[in-house]
Amino acid sequence: MRVSAVRLPPDATYLHVGYHVPLRMTPLVDIQDVDFAYREQPVLRGIRLQVPEQTTLGIIGPNGGGKTTLVRLLLGLLKPTRGRILIDGMPPEKAVARGNIVGYLPQNSPVVEKFPLTVRQVIRLGLVGKTGVFRSHSREDLAFVDGLIERLGLAEMASKPVGALSGGQLQRVFIAKALAPRPKLLILDEPTTAIDRSAQQRVIEMIQQLKAELSLTIILVSHDLRAVTAIADRIACLNVTLHYHDIPEHMPADLAYQMFACDLEAMGLGMARHQQAAGSGQQAAGGRG
Amino acid sequence: MLGFVTSSMGAAMLTAVALGVTCAILSVFVVLRRWAFIGEGISHSGFGGAGVAWMLAVLAPGIFGAEQTPWMVSTCVVLFCLGTAALIGYFSLHGEMNFDAVVGIFLVASLAFGFTAQHVYMHMEGRQPWGFDSVFLGDLLRITPAYSLAALGICAAVVLTVVALWKEIVNYCFDPLGAHVGGMRAGVVHFVLMLLVAVTIIIGMYVAGALLVTALIVLPGATALLLGRQMRGVMTLAIITGLIGTVGGTLIHEWLRFIPAGPAIALVLFVEFVVAYVAARVLRLTA
Repeated sequence: MRVSAVRLPPDATYLHVGYHVPLRMTPLVDIQDVDFAYREQPVLRGIRLQVPEQTTLGIIGPNGGGKTTLVRLLLGLLKPTRGRILIDGMPPEKAVARGNIVGYLPQNSPVVEKFPLTVRQVIRLGLVGKTGVFRSHSREDLAFVDGLIERLGLAEMASKPVGALSGGQLQRVFIAKALAPRPKLLILDEPTTAIDRSAQQRVIEMIQQLKAELSLTIILVSHDLRAVTAIADRIACLNVTLHYHDIPEHMPADLAYQMFACDLEAMGLGMARHQQAAGSGQQAAGGRG
Repeated sequence: MLGFVTSSMGAAMLTAVALGVTCAILSVFVVLRRWAFIGEGISHSGFGGAGVAWMLAVLAPGIFGAEQTPWMVSTCVVLFCLGTAALIGYFSLHGEMNFDAVVGIFLVASLAFGFTAQHVYMHMEGRQPWGFDSVFLGDLLRITPAYSLAALGICAAVVLTVVALWKEIVNYCFDPLGAHVGGMRAGVVHFVLMLLVAVTIIIGMYVAGALLVTALIVLPGATALLLGRQMRGVMTLAIITGLIGTVGGTLIHEWLRFIPAGPAIALVLFVEFVVAYVAARVLRLTA
């Protein structure tokens, strides 16, 4: 790739070389040589991961490959057995405790059917950690929440009970809740599962729109290759260890999809490494007997 | 007015009102968090506490007998309930066991120990241990004006704590993991809520007894959630339900002294639940 000398404006943040490269490559997320094991069973090994600000990293991989464990490490719910993780220069527990650095959309949303809260009230719950005890939410934060409600097409149902919403509508509510404190980093764990195809498409479009508007850094963990290839700047394939691919800006999403579908197959038809090892061990034992 | 408050009926009624409001507010959160079994675990552990007092009386009657330490049963009940609540809170957050299993284990262990101690006492002393009936079924008649004022003060403190931590408690009850990841000290709120429930159950045990105090901490919330769609309405309905239950049950006990207050309160609350359930079904069919 040849790059001509150019004069950049002083406030330039990106260099376009076929795809956008942030000039200030300050990693918002910095994972250095992280291992993690559950009771001697290695789940993650030698993970090195840097996510620059205002970029989107998609993480794909087979079941049991360590995606959920990596998310839990980033949220400070687990501690690595080796290595270190920094989010915005601090350990994950501290970043999460600040209330406005990390936003998280879980894979399994809480059961809300009978909970007597309106959509607006649920989204405002996202501000509780940031606001703090014995304090009321600031007017600025409340206004931002109202803006999010408008932007995500939730205005008409803002006063409705949250239990009356469909799966796709609920997903938008939880995305708004995660974004309410204006986090720098948004972690999305399987955001398009458990919703129908048309709702999936709307969620993908919404995330793309919000990413640009709110200058978000996003880590998207998903089996949905269409969502990942549509949104991500880079893709990491995780199966106990991690390897990266950049997606050139003009690569059609379908082609990227085919490329990474092949990659999943190359990792063993979706089997995690420790499952593959267990399977080959059993075959060898059968051969000896 | 002062005469009424200092009378036996007044003391009972004041306690019933304070308890009705406080239990109703907490019961909404208890039902939303699916903590109904916790109420059973904490209240029944009081029987284990009573068992400790009875065993001490058997082992050292001169020091811990009924005449020497009449307050021992109450003290041990309170300590056991608080201790059980703390342990349930700890193991449900940090342990590897399922929440229901933790509560079940403490419940059966406390009941087993309480019954064993009761039978040991009966075998050694030839009579039922003191406080046995009041621990199980409550004893409204023994509520003094001093107790009712203390209960009013404690209930007010519980309600004020809920008001002060309202958004944190709602956030925790809605989504504990989301609350933690959102920067809230969800573990602290978990323990605070557990403690508030335990303290309220302890006060309620003197009115309704260990067996039935769970009715106070479950039924008002369950009833209100059948009909209410928003938190303000649910809380209002729960408080009305709770007050009808506690005041109504107390009046029934005052009128028909052979019916203990605990079962009377529980039955009134149950009738309210049935009425609300039928009303909710009718409203749904006609909507």
